[in-house]
Amino acid sequence: MSMDDVSAAPDRPTQEISLTVNGEDVTAEIEPRVKLSDFLRNYVDLNGVRVGCEHGVCGACTVSFDGDLIKSCMMYAVQTDGGEIVTVEGLGEDGSLHPIQEAFHEEHALQCGFCTSGFVMSTKDLLEEDPDPSQEKMEAHLSSNICRCTGYQNIYDAVRTAATKMEEDD
Amino acid sequence: MKPSAFEYHRPETVEEAVTLLTDLSEAELMAGNQSLSIVMANRLADPDHIIDINAIDELSHIDTTTDTVDVGALTRHRDIANSPVLKENYAVLPEAAGQIAGPTVRNRGTIGGSIGEADPAGNYPCVLIAMDGELELASTDGRRTVDADDYFIAYMMTEIEETELITAARFPREPFPASRTGMTFLGQKRAAQTWPTLSVAGAVRVDNPESTDPVVEEARIGLANAADIPLRIESVETAIEGEPLGDAALENAGDIAYEQVSPAGEMHADETYKRELAREYTKRAFRTAYDRAVA
Repeated sequence: MSMDDVSAAPDRPTQEISLTVNGEDVTAEIEPRVKLSDFLRNYVDLNGVRVGCEHGVCGACTVSFDGDLIKSCMMYAVQTDGGEIVTVEGLGEDGSLHPIQEAFHEEHALQCGFCTSGFVMSTKDLLEEDPDPSQEKMEAHLSSNICRCTGYQNIYDAVRTAATKMEEDD
Repeated sequence: MKPSAFEYHRPETVEEAVTLLTDLSEAELMAGNQSLSIVMANRLADPDHIIDINAIDELSHIDTTTDTVDVGALTRHRDIANSPVLKENYAVLPEAAGQIAGPTVRNRGTIGGSIGEADPAGNYPCVLIAMDGELELASTDGRRTVDADDYFIAYMMTEIEETELITAARFPREPFPASRTGMTFLGQKRAAQTWPTLSVAGAVRVDNPESTDPVVEEARIGLANAADIPLRIESVETAIEGEPLGDAALENAGDIAYEQVSPAGEMHADETYKRELAREYTKRAFRTAYDRAVA
Protein backbone atom coordinates (compact mmCIF):
# COMPACT_ATOMS: atom_id res chain seq x y z
CA MET A 1 0.00 0.00 0.00
CA SER A 2 1.48 3.34 -0.90
CA MET A 3 1.20 6.18 1.54
CA ASP A 4 -0.42 8.35 -1.12
CA ASP A 5 -3.53 6.24 -0.67
CA VAL A 6 -3.59 6.94 3.04
CA SER A 7 -3.14 10.69 2.76
CA ALA A 8 -5.92 10.78 0.17
CA ALA A 9 -8.43 9.16 2.54
CA PRO A 10 -11.63 11.25 2.63
CA ASP A 11 -12.73 13.30 5.64
CA ARG A 12 -9.44 12.91 7.42
CA PRO A 13 -7.65 16.17 8.05
CA THR A 14 -3.97 16.23 7.21
CA GLN A 15 -1.25 18.54 8.33
CA GLU A 16 2.00 19.68 6.71
CA ILE A 17 5.20 19.04 8.63
CA SER A 18 8.82 19.98 7.91
CA LEU A 19 11.68 18.40 9.75
CA THR A 20 15.25 17.22 9.34
CA VAL A 21 15.91 13.50 9.02
CA ASN A 22 19.57 12.42 9.01
CA GLY A 23 20.51 15.95 7.96
CA GLU A 24 18.07 16.12 5.02
CA ASP A 25 15.06 18.43 4.95
CA VAL A 26 11.79 16.54 4.67
CA THR A 27 8.35 18.05 4.12
CA ALA A 28 5.19 15.95 4.03
CA GLU A 29 1.43 16.17 4.30
CA ILE A 30 0.25 13.60 6.81
CA GLU A 31 -2.60 12.52 9.03
CA PRO A 32 -1.98 13.30 12.72
CA ARG A 33 -2.44 9.64 13.63
CA VAL A 34 0.63 8.55 11.64
CA LYS A 35 3.24 7.35 14.08
CA LEU A 36 6.78 8.62 13.70
CA SER A 37 7.93 5.03 13.13
CA ASP A 38 5.52 4.56 10.20
CA PHE A 39 6.35 8.00 8.86
CA LEU A 40 10.08 7.24 8.77
CA ARG A 41 9.56 3.87 7.07
CA ASN A 42 6.79 4.72 4.65
CA TYR A 43 7.27 8.39 3.80
CA VAL A 44 11.04 8.73 4.16
CA ASP A 45 11.90 5.15 3.10
CA LEU A 46 14.13 4.51 6.10
CA ASN A 47 13.52 0.82 6.67
CA GLY A 48 16.23 0.59 9.32
CA VAL A 49 13.49 1.82 11.65
CA ARG A 50 11.82 -1.45 12.62
CA VAL A 51 8.21 -1.74 13.64
CA GLY A 52 7.90 -4.54 16.18
CA CYS A 53 5.38 -4.36 18.99
CA GLU A 54 4.04 -0.89 18.12
CA HIS A 55 3.29 -0.09 21.74
CA GLY A 56 6.54 0.83 23.38
CA VAL A 57 7.86 -2.50 24.57
CA CYS A 58 10.40 -3.87 22.10
CA GLY A 59 12.57 -0.85 21.24
CA ALA A 60 13.10 -1.89 17.62
CA CYS A 61 11.89 1.56 16.45
CA THR A 62 14.36 3.52 18.60
CA VAL A 63 15.61 6.75 17.00
CA SER A 64 16.93 10.08 18.18
CA PHE A 65 14.61 13.14 18.31
CA ASP A 66 16.26 16.50 18.99
CA GLY A 67 19.13 14.60 20.59
CA ASP A 68 16.94 12.41 22.83
CA LEU A 69 16.68 8.65 22.44
CA ILE A 70 13.00 7.79 21.91
CA LYS A 71 10.69 5.02 20.74
CA SER A 72 9.29 6.31 17.48
CA CYS A 73 6.06 4.28 17.85
CA MET A 74 5.23 6.45 20.88
CA MET A 75 5.31 9.76 19.05
CA TYR A 76 3.12 11.00 16.26
CA ALA A 77 5.02 12.42 13.30
CA VAL A 78 3.12 15.74 13.62
CA GLN A 79 4.84 16.24 16.96
CA THR A 80 8.25 16.36 15.28
CA ASP A 81 7.44 19.36 13.06
CA GLY A 82 10.53 21.58 13.10
CA GLY A 83 12.58 18.89 14.82
CA GLU A 84 15.61 16.82 14.02
CA ILE A 85 15.56 13.02 13.68
CA VAL A 86 18.51 10.67 13.39
CA THR A 87 17.96 7.02 12.46
CA VAL A 88 20.43 4.16 12.12
CA GLU A 89 20.88 5.16 8.47
CA GLY A 90 22.33 8.46 9.67
CA LEU A 91 25.24 6.94 11.59
CA GLY A 92 27.73 5.72 8.99
CA GLU A 93 29.32 8.16 6.58
CA ASP A 94 29.46 7.56 2.82
CA GLY A 95 28.12 4.03 3.02
CA SER A 96 30.71 2.85 5.54
CA LEU A 97 29.79 1.35 8.90
CA HIS A 98 29.85 3.35 12.13
CA PRO A 99 32.27 1.86 14.73
CA ILE A 100 29.24 0.64 16.71
CA GLN A 101 27.89 -1.17 13.63
CA GLU A 102 31.35 -2.67 12.99
CA ALA A 103 31.48 -3.87 16.58
CA PHE A 104 28.04 -5.51 16.33
CA HIS A 105 29.25 -7.26 13.17
CA GLU A 106 32.55 -8.42 14.66
CA GLU A 107 31.06 -9.65 17.94
CA HIS A 108 28.15 -11.42 16.24
CA ALA A 109 25.79 -9.29 18.34
CA LEU A 110 22.79 -10.25 16.24
CA GLN A 111 21.14 -13.29 14.82
CA CYS A 112 17.92 -12.39 13.03
CA GLY A 113 18.86 -8.70 13.13
CA PHE A 114 15.38 -7.31 13.71
CA CYS A 115 16.30 -5.56 16.96
CA THR A 116 19.76 -4.45 15.83
CA SER A 117 19.11 -0.92 14.63
CA GLY A 118 17.36 -0.12 17.90
CA PHE A 119 20.25 -1.55 19.92
CA VAL A 120 22.77 0.37 17.81
CA MET A 121 20.90 3.63 18.46
CA SER A 122 20.71 2.93 22.20
CA THR A 123 24.42 2.03 22.26
CA LYS A 124 25.29 5.31 20.54
CA ASP A 125 23.25 7.23 23.13
CA LEU A 126 24.94 5.32 25.95
CA LEU A 127 28.51 5.86 24.70
CA GLU A 128 27.89 9.58 24.13
CA GLU A 129 26.79 9.84 27.76
CA ASP A 130 29.46 7.50 29.14
CA PRO A 131 32.35 6.44 26.85
CA ASP A 132 33.39 3.67 29.28
CA PRO A 133 30.21 2.31 30.86
CA SER A 134 30.12 -0.31 33.61
CA GLN A 135 28.27 -3.58 32.98
CA GLU A 136 25.45 -2.34 35.23
CA LYS A 137 25.15 0.97 33.37
CA MET A 138 25.20 -0.88 30.04
CA GLU A 139 22.40 -3.21 31.09
CA ALA A 140 20.33 -0.32 32.44
CA HIS A 141 20.76 1.81 29.34
CA LEU A 142 19.93 -1.00 26.94
CA SER A 143 16.88 -2.04 28.97
CA SER A 144 14.56 -0.20 26.56
CA ASN A 145 15.44 -2.76 23.89
CA ILE A 146 14.53 -6.43 23.62
CA CYS A 147 16.47 -9.10 21.72
CA ARG A 148 15.00 -12.61 21.44
CA CYS A 149 17.98 -14.29 19.73
CA THR A 150 21.32 -13.46 21.30
CA GLY A 151 20.79 -13.70 25.04
CA TYR A 152 22.39 -10.23 25.17
CA GLN A 153 25.94 -11.33 26.00
CA ASN A 154 27.29 -10.72 22.51
CA ILE A 155 25.53 -7.36 22.49
CA TYR A 156 27.33 -6.35 25.68
CA ASP A 157 30.61 -7.56 24.10
CA ALA A 158 29.86 -5.38 21.08
CA VAL A 159 29.21 -2.34 23.25
CA ARG A 160 32.60 -2.82 24.93
CA THR A 161 34.31 -3.31 21.56
CA ALA A 162 32.56 -0.22 20.18
CA ALA A 163 33.68 1.81 23.22
CA THR A 164 37.28 0.79 22.54
CA LYS A 165 37.03 1.58 18.83
CA MET A 166 35.51 4.98 19.48
CA GLU A 167 38.14 5.83 22.07
CA GLU A 168 40.88 4.92 19.58
CA ASP A 169 39.21 7.09 16.92
CA ASP A 170 39.30 10.16 19.17
CA MET B 1 -1.80 -1.38 16.49
CA LYS B 2 -2.56 1.87 14.71
CA PRO B 3 -4.63 4.50 16.50
CA SER B 4 -7.89 5.72 15.00
CA ALA B 5 -8.02 9.13 13.36
CA PHE B 6 -7.93 12.28 15.47
CA GLU B 7 -7.44 16.00 15.11
CA TYR B 8 -4.25 17.40 16.54
CA HIS B 9 -3.96 20.58 18.58
CA ARG B 10 -0.79 22.10 19.97
CA PRO B 11 -1.57 24.98 22.35
CA GLU B 12 1.27 27.12 23.70
CA THR B 13 -0.36 28.32 26.91
CA VAL B 14 -2.31 26.69 29.73
CA GLU B 15 -5.25 29.01 29.02
CA GLU B 16 -5.38 27.90 25.38
CA ALA B 17 -5.16 24.25 26.42
CA VAL B 18 -8.02 24.38 28.93
CA THR B 19 -10.19 26.34 26.49
CA LEU B 20 -9.69 23.57 23.91
CA LEU B 21 -10.37 20.95 26.57
CA THR B 22 -13.66 22.66 27.45
CA ASP B 23 -14.78 23.37 23.87
CA LEU B 24 -13.90 20.08 22.18
CA SER B 25 -15.81 16.90 22.82
CA GLU B 26 -13.98 13.57 23.13
CA ALA B 27 -10.62 15.28 23.67
CA GLU B 28 -7.59 13.88 25.49
CA LEU B 29 -4.53 15.70 26.78
CA MET B 30 -1.19 14.33 25.60
CA ALA B 31 2.07 14.86 27.49
CA GLY B 32 4.88 12.28 27.16
CA ASN B 33 2.55 9.81 25.41
CA GLN B 34 4.20 6.80 27.07
CA SER B 35 0.87 5.43 28.32
CA LEU B 36 -1.73 7.13 26.13
CA SER B 37 -0.05 5.87 22.95
CA ILE B 38 -0.41 2.31 24.22
CA VAL B 39 -4.14 2.55 24.92
CA MET B 40 -4.64 4.34 21.60
CA ALA B 41 -2.59 1.74 19.71
CA ASN B 42 -4.79 -0.94 21.22
CA ARG B 43 -7.91 1.14 20.43
CA LEU B 44 -8.92 1.11 24.08
CA ALA B 45 -9.13 4.88 23.61
CA ASP B 46 -10.11 6.61 20.38
CA PRO B 47 -10.33 10.33 21.12
CA ASP B 48 -11.53 12.67 18.37
CA HIS B 49 -9.05 15.33 19.49
CA ILE B 50 -5.56 15.21 20.92
CA ILE B 51 -4.39 18.29 22.79
CA ASP B 52 -0.59 18.09 22.83
CA ILE B 53 0.72 20.12 25.78
CA ASN B 54 4.42 19.66 24.94
CA ALA B 55 4.75 23.24 23.66
CA ILE B 56 3.57 24.82 26.94
CA ASP B 57 6.92 25.94 28.35
CA GLU B 58 5.40 27.06 31.65
CA LEU B 59 4.77 23.42 32.56
CA SER B 60 8.45 22.35 32.50
CA HIS B 61 10.26 23.41 35.64
CA ILE B 62 11.73 22.32 38.93
CA ASP B 63 11.54 25.20 41.44
CA THR B 64 12.84 24.72 44.94
CA THR B 65 12.09 27.27 47.65
CA THR B 66 12.64 26.98 51.40
CA ASP B 67 9.06 25.70 51.76
CA THR B 68 8.28 23.74 48.64
CA VAL B 69 9.58 21.65 45.78
CA ASP B 70 7.42 22.65 42.81
CA VAL B 71 7.65 20.39 39.75
CA GLY B 72 5.87 21.39 36.53
CA ALA B 73 3.55 18.74 35.12
CA LEU B 74 5.50 18.41 31.86
CA THR B 75 8.85 17.80 33.57
CA ARG B 76 10.34 14.58 32.18
CA HIS B 77 11.37 11.62 34.35
CA ARG B 78 14.95 12.06 33.12
CA ASP B 79 15.13 15.69 34.26
CA ILE B 80 13.77 14.79 37.69
CA ALA B 81 16.15 11.81 37.96
CA ASN B 82 19.17 13.98 37.06
CA SER B 83 18.29 17.14 39.00
CA PRO B 84 21.22 18.04 41.33
CA VAL B 85 18.99 20.22 43.51
CA LEU B 86 16.48 17.38 44.01
CA LYS B 87 19.23 14.82 44.67
CA GLU B 88 20.53 17.14 47.36
CA ASN B 89 17.22 18.16 48.94
CA TYR B 90 14.51 15.68 48.01
CA ALA B 91 16.14 12.40 47.01
CA VAL B 92 12.90 10.42 46.97
CA LEU B 93 11.83 12.19 43.76
CA PRO B 94 14.93 11.56 41.59
CA GLU B 95 15.10 7.97 42.88
CA ALA B 96 11.45 7.38 42.00
CA ALA B 97 11.95 8.94 38.55
CA GLY B 98 15.14 6.99 37.80
CA GLN B 99 13.39 3.67 38.43
CA ILE B 100 10.69 4.22 35.82
CA ALA B 101 11.10 1.88 32.79
CA GLY B 102 14.14 2.44 30.55
CA PRO B 103 15.89 5.56 29.18
CA THR B 104 13.59 6.07 26.18
CA VAL B 105 10.51 6.21 28.40
CA ARG B 106 12.28 8.51 30.88
CA ASN B 107 13.23 10.87 28.05
CA ARG B 108 9.58 11.48 27.18
CA GLY B 109 7.36 10.50 30.12
CA THR B 110 6.26 13.23 32.55
CA ILE B 111 5.35 13.53 36.20
CA GLY B 112 1.97 15.07 35.35
CA GLY B 113 1.15 12.20 33.04
CA SER B 114 1.99 9.63 35.69
CA ILE B 115 -0.07 11.38 38.36
CA GLY B 116 -2.93 11.96 35.92
CA GLU B 117 -2.95 8.28 34.97
CA ALA B 118 -2.96 7.49 38.71
CA ASP B 119 -1.99 3.85 38.38
CA PRO B 120 -1.70 2.57 41.96
CA ALA B 121 1.65 0.99 40.99
CA GLY B 122 2.99 4.36 39.78
CA ASN B 123 6.08 5.82 41.41
CA TYR B 124 5.13 9.51 41.75
CA PRO B 125 1.61 8.94 43.14
CA CYS B 126 3.21 7.00 45.98
CA VAL B 127 5.74 9.78 46.66
CA LEU B 128 3.01 12.43 46.50
CA ILE B 129 0.89 10.62 49.07
CA ALA B 130 3.84 9.82 51.38
CA MET B 131 5.09 13.39 51.44
CA ASP B 132 1.63 14.94 51.75
CA GLY B 133 1.99 16.85 48.49
CA GLU B 134 -0.59 18.73 46.50
CA LEU B 135 -1.51 19.25 42.85
CA GLU B 136 -2.33 22.42 41.00
CA LEU B 137 -5.16 21.97 38.50
CA ALA B 138 -6.16 24.47 35.82
CA SER B 139 -9.47 24.93 34.03
CA THR B 140 -11.27 27.80 32.30
CA ASP B 141 -12.46 28.78 35.79
CA GLY B 142 -8.88 29.37 36.95
CA ARG B 143 -6.63 27.25 39.14
CA ARG B 144 -7.18 25.26 42.29
CA THR B 145 -5.07 23.03 44.47
CA VAL B 146 -5.98 19.55 45.66
CA ASP B 147 -4.25 17.65 48.47
CA ALA B 148 -2.81 14.27 47.54
CA ASP B 149 -5.01 12.78 50.20
CA ASP B 150 -8.17 13.98 48.42
CA TYR B 151 -6.90 13.34 44.90
CA PHE B 152 -6.72 9.54 44.70
CA ILE B 153 -10.26 8.18 45.01
CA ALA B 154 -10.27 4.60 43.68
CA TYR B 155 -8.46 2.48 41.11
CA MET B 156 -7.24 5.00 38.50
CA MET B 157 -10.04 7.35 39.53
CA THR B 158 -9.12 10.80 40.79
CA GLU B 159 -10.54 14.14 41.85
CA ILE B 160 -9.59 15.73 38.51
CA GLU B 161 -12.47 16.89 36.29
CA GLU B 162 -12.55 16.16 32.56
CA THR B 163 -12.00 19.85 31.81
CA GLU B 164 -8.97 20.19 34.08
CA LEU B 165 -5.25 20.01 33.38
CA ILE B 166 -2.59 19.23 35.99
CA THR B 167 -0.09 22.11 35.93
CA ALA B 168 2.23 21.20 38.81
CA ALA B 169 2.92 18.81 41.68
CA ARG B 170 4.12 20.43 44.91
CA PHE B 171 5.97 18.68 47.70
CA PRO B 172 6.32 20.39 51.10
CA ARG B 173 9.86 20.54 52.49
CA GLU B 174 8.57 20.78 56.05
CA PRO B 175 9.08 18.85 58.22
CA PHE B 176 12.05 17.38 56.35
CA PRO B 177 15.09 19.72 56.36
CA ALA B 178 17.81 18.15 54.19
CA SER B 179 20.44 18.31 56.94
CA ARG B 180 18.54 15.94 59.26
CA THR B 181 16.58 13.91 56.74
CA GLY B 182 17.07 10.76 54.71
CA MET B 183 14.77 9.76 51.86
CA THR B 184 14.58 6.77 49.54
CA PHE B 185 12.49 5.00 46.95
CA LEU B 186 12.75 1.21 46.72
CA GLY B 187 10.78 -1.46 45.00
CA GLN B 188 10.66 -4.89 43.49
CA LYS B 189 10.49 -4.92 39.72
CA ARG B 190 10.92 -8.09 37.66
CA ALA B 191 12.28 -6.33 34.57
CA ALA B 192 13.05 -2.77 33.54
CA GLN B 193 9.89 -2.30 31.52
CA THR B 194 7.37 -3.95 33.81
CA TRP B 195 5.42 -2.16 36.51
CA PRO B 196 6.93 -2.78 39.95
CA THR B 197 5.28 -5.54 41.96
CA LEU B 198 5.40 -3.25 44.98
CA SER B 199 7.35 -0.12 45.86
CA VAL B 200 7.87 2.10 48.85
CA ALA B 201 8.71 5.79 49.31
CA GLY B 202 10.29 6.49 52.70
CA ALA B 203 11.54 9.51 54.64
CA VAL B 204 13.03 9.82 58.12
CA ARG B 205 14.01 12.95 60.09
CA VAL B 206 16.24 12.58 63.14
CA ASP B 207 16.79 14.99 66.05
CA ASN B 208 20.55 15.26 65.70
CA PRO B 209 22.63 13.33 63.17
CA GLU B 210 25.79 13.99 65.23
CA SER B 211 24.55 12.32 68.42
CA THR B 212 25.49 8.74 69.30
CA ASP B 213 21.93 7.48 68.95
CA PRO B 214 19.92 9.84 66.74
CA VAL B 215 16.21 9.66 67.52
CA VAL B 216 13.61 9.34 64.75
CA GLU B 217 11.42 12.42 65.10
CA GLU B 218 9.29 12.00 62.01
CA ALA B 219 8.84 9.18 59.50
CA ARG B 220 6.86 8.80 56.30
CA ILE B 221 5.92 5.79 54.27
CA GLY B 222 4.05 5.50 50.99
CA LEU B 223 3.31 2.18 49.31
CA ALA B 224 2.60 1.63 45.62
CA ASN B 225 0.58 -1.28 44.27
CA ALA B 226 -0.33 -2.29 47.82
CA ALA B 227 -4.01 -1.31 47.38
CA ASP B 228 -6.23 0.17 44.66
CA ILE B 229 -4.79 3.62 45.44
CA PRO B 230 -1.34 4.67 46.69
CA LEU B 231 -1.23 4.21 50.47
CA ARG B 232 0.25 6.19 53.32
CA ILE B 233 0.01 4.26 56.59
CA GLU B 234 0.51 6.53 59.61
CA SER B 235 0.55 3.70 62.18
CA VAL B 236 3.61 2.29 60.37
CA GLU B 237 5.29 5.68 60.68
CA THR B 238 4.59 6.11 64.40
CA ALA B 239 5.97 2.62 65.05
CA ILE B 240 9.52 3.92 64.57
CA GLU B 241 9.10 7.48 65.90
CA GLY B 242 10.41 8.69 69.27
CA GLU B 243 13.44 6.44 69.58
CA PRO B 244 16.66 5.56 67.75
CA LEU B 245 15.94 3.12 64.91
CA GLY B 246 16.21 -0.40 66.29
CA ASP B 247 15.36 -3.87 65.06
CA ALA B 248 12.31 -4.23 67.31
CA ALA B 249 10.73 -1.01 66.03
CA LEU B 250 11.50 -2.01 62.44
CA GLU B 251 9.91 -5.42 62.92
CA ASN B 252 6.86 -3.78 64.43
CA ALA B 253 6.59 -1.33 61.52
CA GLY B 254 6.90 -4.22 59.07
CA ASP B 255 4.20 -6.21 60.86
CA ILE B 256 1.79 -3.27 60.74
CA ALA B 257 2.51 -2.74 57.04
CA TYR B 258 1.80 -6.45 56.43
CA GLU B 259 -1.58 -6.10 58.16
CA GLN B 260 -2.65 -2.72 56.83
CA VAL B 261 -2.07 -3.08 53.08
CA SER B 262 -4.83 -4.50 50.89
CA PRO B 263 -3.11 -5.72 47.75
CA ALA B 264 -4.76 -7.51 44.86
CA GLY B 265 -3.18 -10.83 43.90
CA GLU B 266 -1.49 -10.96 40.50
CA MET B 267 -0.30 -13.78 38.26
CA HIS B 268 3.26 -13.67 39.62
CA ALA B 269 2.55 -12.30 43.10
CA ASP B 270 -0.36 -13.47 45.23
CA GLU B 271 -1.83 -11.35 48.00
CA THR B 272 0.28 -12.89 50.78
CA TYR B 273 3.46 -12.45 48.80
CA LYS B 274 2.67 -8.77 48.28
CA ARG B 275 1.99 -8.36 52.01
CA GLU B 276 5.44 -9.86 52.65
CA LEU B 277 6.93 -7.40 50.15
CA ALA B 278 5.19 -4.54 51.97
CA ARG B 279 6.78 -5.73 55.22
CA GLU B 280 10.25 -6.18 53.75
CA TYR B 281 10.39 -2.97 51.70
CA THR B 282 8.99 -0.90 54.56
CA LYS B 283 11.87 -2.12 56.73
CA ARG B 284 14.44 -1.56 53.99
CA ALA B 285 13.13 1.93 53.21
CA PHE B 286 13.20 3.04 56.85
CA ARG B 287 16.68 1.55 57.36
CA THR B 288 18.02 3.24 54.22
CA ALA B 289 16.37 6.59 55.02
CA TYR B 290 17.63 6.50 58.61
CA ASP B 291 21.19 5.64 57.56
CA ARG B 292 21.12 8.55 55.13
CA ALA B 293 19.69 10.93 57.73
CA VAL B 294 22.51 10.21 60.17
CA ALA B 295 25.30 10.04 57.57
